[in-house]
Amino acid sequence: TAGNKIFHFGPCRVSMSMAEIRAGFSAIKANIQSRDPIRSLSILSHPHSLHKVKSSDRCCITHQLLSFYVDKVFRHCRTEDSFVNRKISSIANSFLSASRELGQCREQNNCVCGEESTEKFKQILANYEGLDVTSAAMKSLGELDILLDWME
Amino acid sequence: SGELYCSLPNPRNVRFESINMKNVLHWSAPEGTGDGVLYKVKYAVYGVGKWIRKPECRNINRTWCDLSSETSDYEEQYYASVKAFLNGTCSDWMETARFNPLTDTKIDPPMVSVSSTDRSISIMLTAPEKWKRSPEEESISLLQVYPGLQYNVSVLNKKTKKRWFFSISNNTLVVPWLQPGTAYCVSAQIHVPTPLLDSDFSK
Repeated sequence: TAGNKIFHFGPCRVSMSMAEIRAGFSAIKANIQSRDPIRSLSILSHPHSLHKVKSSDRCCITHQLLSFYVDKVFRHCRTEDSFVNRKISSIANSFLSASRELGQCREQNNCVCGEESTEKFKQILANYEGLDVTSAAMKSLGELDILLDWME
Repeated sequence: SGELYCSLPNPRNVRFESINMKNVLHWSAPEGTGDGVLYKVKYAVYGVGKWIRKPECRNINRTWCDLSSETSDYEEQYYASVKAFLNGTCSDWMETARFNPLTDTKIDPPMVSVSSTDRSISIMLTAPEKWKRSPEEESISLLQVYPGLQYNVSVLNKKTKKRWFFSISNNTLVVPWLQPGTAYCVSAQIHVPTPLLDSDFSK
């Protein structure tokens, strides 16, 4: 469909409706980010930027991040606003199918999980676990554009 | 921090206005304050705990501050904040929303140059450059920033008012089979599919 993007990670490829995901996030970005008062902490981009991950590690860390959002973020982001909730679940569905698609390929092709991506993902989990679940999930959701910018 | 008791109304509508990643902080004066209000500005990289003062925007009476240099790394996101002062009192710090230079900038139309033979038009398109600190600094085309960048081109026959639209990824287009001795109007727009960014059409 229009706006679908195919990402290639070595032997693996995953298709995501990036235009749709981006549009959904843009519609709720101000709402979600305004619920995150903590300026001094980022889940994804500090202290280590995603942009420093080696290309050979992209397959592994992309799958880890997609699963992270599915398992630890979207489910903890219910709000009192039904419009926002609908956009979140639409994005969550896109992430779920991409995560499954990449997960199957990872098993078959053994995507390399190098030391760097393992360390990077550990740091992301540590940042996440440094906050209470709802704050951590809302902050992570507010950083979705950081993930999408890096993926693209 | 030696701050005065702050009873002044706050600056309003504090936001970044960005074109080709020239990122300028704008705000409106506090309600009901006439002349004489001064401002100071600070900014922060999202995820890093430090607010940094902008010396060139300290005690200024204008309502904008160019933070392009401080926000030029488009892999980062930023906040900025403004405080107003008048007659010994001050306002609160008023912050922007989180600013992502990559998705929150506007893009100028492309430069269009046209050459023609008697039956065809050759159109050359040039994407604008990212803002840079000085003319000597290396130029970065927005094409490098947005690899998926495309051009939408409109060609109008001024006599028949018939219009053609083309969507191309490379920067040249040849339009054949045109009518000799006829005026055509060419206009082009930049389209970035994701993150979704569209420029205006060129004049």
